[in-house]
Amino acid sequence: MTGSAPLIGIVGSGIAGLRAANALLKCGVDARIVILGDEAHRTYSRPGLTKKRYPPPDGIEAATEGLKVPGVENTALTWHLDTRVETADLRDRVLRLSTGDTLAYDRLVIASGVRPRTSAEGDRECAVHAHRTLRGLDDARSIHQELQKSKKVTIAGAGFVACELASLAKEYGCEVVMLEALRHGPFERILGTTTARSLRSWIARNGVTFLTGDAARNMLCDGAGRLAKDASGSKDAYLEPASDRSLYIEAIGSVPNVEWLRGNGLDLSDGVRVDEYMRVSECEDVFAAGDIARYPDPWTSESHTRMEFWKNAIDTGDLAGKSLASSLGYDAKISRIKYFPNMVTEVFGLRIQIAGNPKISDSMEIVRGDLERPDHGVVVKYLREGAMVGAAYLDRGARLNSLYIELLTALRAR
Amino acid sequence: MKIFVDQVKCQNHGLCAISSPDHFELDADGELRYQESFDEENIDEIEDAIDSCPLQAIALNRDSA
Ligand SMILES: Cc1cc2nc3c(=O)[nH]c(=O)nc-3n(C[C@H](O)[C@H](O)[C@H](O)COP(=O)(O)OP(=O)(O)OC[C@H]3O[C@@H](n4cnc5c(N)ncnc54)[C@H](O)[C@@H]3O)c2cc1C
Ligand code: SF4
Repeated sequence: MTGSAPLIGIVGSGIAGLRAANALLKCGVDARIVILGDEAHRTYSRPGLTKKRYPPPDGIEAATEGLKVPGVENTALTWHLDTRVETADLRDRVLRLSTGDTLAYDRLVIASGVRPRTSAEGDRECAVHAHRTLRGLDDARSIHQELQKSKKVTIAGAGFVACELASLAKEYGCEVVMLEALRHGPFERILGTTTARSLRSWIARNGVTFLTGDAARNMLCDGAGRLAKDASGSKDAYLEPASDRSLYIEAIGSVPNVEWLRGNGLDLSDGVRVDEYMRVSECEDVFAAGDIARYPDPWTSESHTRMEFWKNAIDTGDLAGKSLASSLGYDAKISRIKYFPNMVTEVFGLRIQIAGNPKISDSMEIVRGDLERPDHGVVVKYLREGAMVGAAYLDRGARLNSLYIELLTALRAR
Repeated sequence: MKIFVDQVKCQNHGLCAISSPDHFELDADGELRYQESFDEENIDEIEDAIDSCPLQAIALNRDSA
């Protein structure tokens, strides 16, 4: 270790990185804590980016004010923003930065998150569409601005970000088309086909053209202004360049930001693999947290999981910070991750709550309500070998909320 | 110390009510109702609720009694 106070490098200025830093401070660790982030902004609320329209008069600045997270002003931390970590040498403990500098660390936290997946690499602009993805504050600013001007929006994907964007675009008065070639409707991979179909018709009832299968496939743009091959594999059809380029937003999943870690012998197959204390097994002085961390799934003993949720980033960030403190000999109460997945979104006024891990279920059971009328309230249980592993709740108000919370209490105590 | 929810930020998502059902709940219209005061022994639950809110709408006002 160099000198007396060690240097702790945290790569990623998102919530997981910030929470790891805060946990270190809470444990009273005497160290220099450096947070490196390639965005120009300190930590902000990422979920807040798609939850509300930016009101025109005060506009963007007022909206940004609402995204503040506690702890970002902390002067005990050193922030290197607008700085990308290009490569890491985990053996010699050196980071090579986009500024040309290097940074030698004693302990490292990997919290570099994920970025949107895109169907085409490189320059994604085409003559027909203005192509966009949404991850950061800067993306959100430009998308909100364009939605205010845009008349037509095409959204590829039907996950949380896609659905929230569709809802937002309608509020801004746009004409919206959603394309989901692989599945029948929103969140199918998590909630199954029946629920996905119900959500799809809810979205359609709210004026969105929701296309699936070949109909969707034929309208997907590969970024070259070319329609993707149709199912028969026949020749590509080219779109005519349009004079008013409509907005085309891809929200089709994400890719972990692991490239800078290559060459160090880590398992980077889907994020960074850690143990139940967020320690990277191959390197005892490295930890990982947030969207990028793949940890032993508390819900199924045999596998590892990666979660892309705000609270998961908080919980794993805290734990990584504590584990690191403990590795330096500080007294930090660490206990293995026992994260309770719990998520909510609102799509056209319909509240959608999901908890536990419905993905691993083998059957479902309607506890109350009717999936044909989700706006009147439906509570669904997801089971695996007869035992509850997840639950979902759809409603316009919150009439069945107490019933849902009862279920969750049982699920949590599992 | 008191709980304070910023009504401009809050979208009535109810994640706080799952973390801490004794202090937060949604009424039938889906609007958040919460108790400002809490016992010190429930602080973990309250902090969990604060963290759970994806809109960062809940704060603890340390100055109020
Ligand atoms: C639009 C949107 C809405 C969402 N809504 C919800 C919601 O309602 N509820 C919910 O639970 N979750 C939601 N999420 C997910 C949630 O925001 C994430 O799970 C959480 O923010 C992950 O935090 P993180 O710190 O792991 O990663 P990030 O927040 O992605 O932070 C990682 C940071 O590291 C930077 N970085 C990457 N590589 C490098 C490098 N080499 N050098 C330097 N910096 C680097 C990235 O640019 C980024 O700033 C939403 C996400 C999005 C995009
Ligand atoms: S979790 Fe946040 S947004 Fe949701 S009801 Fe509670 S305070 Fe409001």
